[in-house]
Amino acid sequence: QGQGSGSASARPEPLEPSLLRFLVCPLSKRPLRYEEATNELINEELGIAYPIIDGIPNMIPEAARTTRKKPPAEGSKQP
Amino acid sequence: AAGLCPCRAVLARRGGALRALCGSRRGLAAGPETHFGFQTVTEAERREKIYQVFESVAKKYDVMNDSMTLGIHRVWKDILVHKMNPSPGTLLLDVAGGTGDIAFRFINYVRSVRERQLQRKLRHHQNLSWQEIAESYQEDKSKSLGDSQVVVCDINKEMLKVGKQKAQHLGYSEGLSWVLGNAEELPFDDDKFDVYTIAFGIRNVTRIDLALDEAYRVLKPGGRFLCLEFSHVSNPLLSRLYDLYSFQVIPVLGEVIAGDWKSYQYLVESIRRFPPQEELKAMIEDAGFFKVDYQNLNSGIVAIHSGFKL
Repeated sequence: QGQGSGSASARPEPLEPSLLRFLVCPLSKRPLRYEEATNELINEELGIAYPIIDGIPNMIPEAARTTRKKPPAEGSKQP
Repeated sequence: AAGLCPCRAVLARRGGALRALCGSRRGLAAGPETHFGFQTVTEAERREKIYQVFESVAKKYDVMNDSMTLGIHRVWKDILVHKMNPSPGTLLLDVAGGTGDIAFRFINYVRSVRERQLQRKLRHHQNLSWQEIAESYQEDKSKSLGDSQVVVCDINKEMLKVGKQKAQHLGYSEGLSWVLGNAEELPFDDDKFDVYTIAFGIRNVTRIDLALDEAYRVLKPGGRFLCLEFSHVSNPLLSRLYDLYSFQVIPVLGEVIAGDWKSYQYLVESIRRFPPQEELKAMIEDAGFFKVDYQNLNSGIVAIHSGFKL
C-alpha cells in the first residue's frame, strides 16, 4: 500500500540495522557507511553511494552514484 | 533490446568505470557468447533478457509455479528446508529468493523448533512459581526465532517487491531482510552465513562459476551450500512425457495465466540447457566445496545439491 510513484513518502523506510553487519561494497568487498541524510550506503574509498529504496538497499554497481565531482586521484590504492 | 533507454547505457558505462576503479578482475563484460534458452546471445544480452523475464512474471510468479507443477513445487521447497534442518540462531542467505518462498519456510521451521525447545524446557521446570513461569514466557516471546535471520538477495526489483508485499501480508517481519544484489557479485562480507540457498535461481545466473565462488566466500567455515534446481531425467519414458508436458503445456499455461508465452518458453528451454546432476556437482566442487552430493526428487525433474565449506 502507498507505493505510488507520484507522492513523496513522509520519511524513507529505514534500513534494517542488522544488515549493516553483513553488507559490503560488491565491487571492493570493503565496509560501507550508512548515511542517514541521503539514505545511502557510502563506499568512501571508491567514492560511490548505493541507494536504499523502500528499505531495500540496491547493491548493484550500475545503480550506484559517484559521490565525487571528479574521479579519485591517480595512484589511489587498489584494494 | 533495441529500445534500451539511453540512461541505462550511461549507467552500464559507469558500472564499467567503477569496476575499473577497483581493479575488479571479474570482467563482467558484454563479451563472450552464451545461451538464452535455445538462442545464442552475449552475456550482457542474456542478463538483460532474464531480467526482463522476471520483471514480466513477478506478479504471477507464485500462481504460475502452482499451475505448472500442480503445487508440487511447495513440496520440493519443504524438502529443501527440512534437509537444511536449521536450528535457532542460524543465519541464512537465500539468493535469487525473490518472492520469499524459502525465507518464509525457514522462519516457520526455526520458529517451530524453538517452540518445541521452550516446551521441553518448561516441562522440566516443575517447581517454578507462577511468577517465574510468567517471566519465562515473556523473555522467550521476544526471541521466538532465537536470533535466526534470513537475508533474501535477488537481482530483480519486481521479484523483491512481490516478496516484501507477501511478507507483510503473511505477517513475516522479524529476522527477515531484503537486498537487491547480484549472485555473481554479492554485497556481503566473507565468512558470514551458516547456510546459503539458491532455489530455482542458479539456472538463471549467467556465470554459474562466479555465483558458486561467491557462495563459498560468504559462507562461514562449516557452512552449507544448498541448491534446488530443475535437473535431468534419465528414465527415457519419463523423459519423453516430461518433454511433452514442458514444451506443449507450460508455454500455453504461461500465455493463458500470465499472458506471456515467451517467458515460459525461455523457462522450459533453460531447464534443458542447464547442466545435469553430475556436471553441477563438479562445478560445486570446483568452487571449493566438500562432501558435495545431490538428491533427485521426482526421478530427477528436480535435484537438491549440497556442499560444505570446511
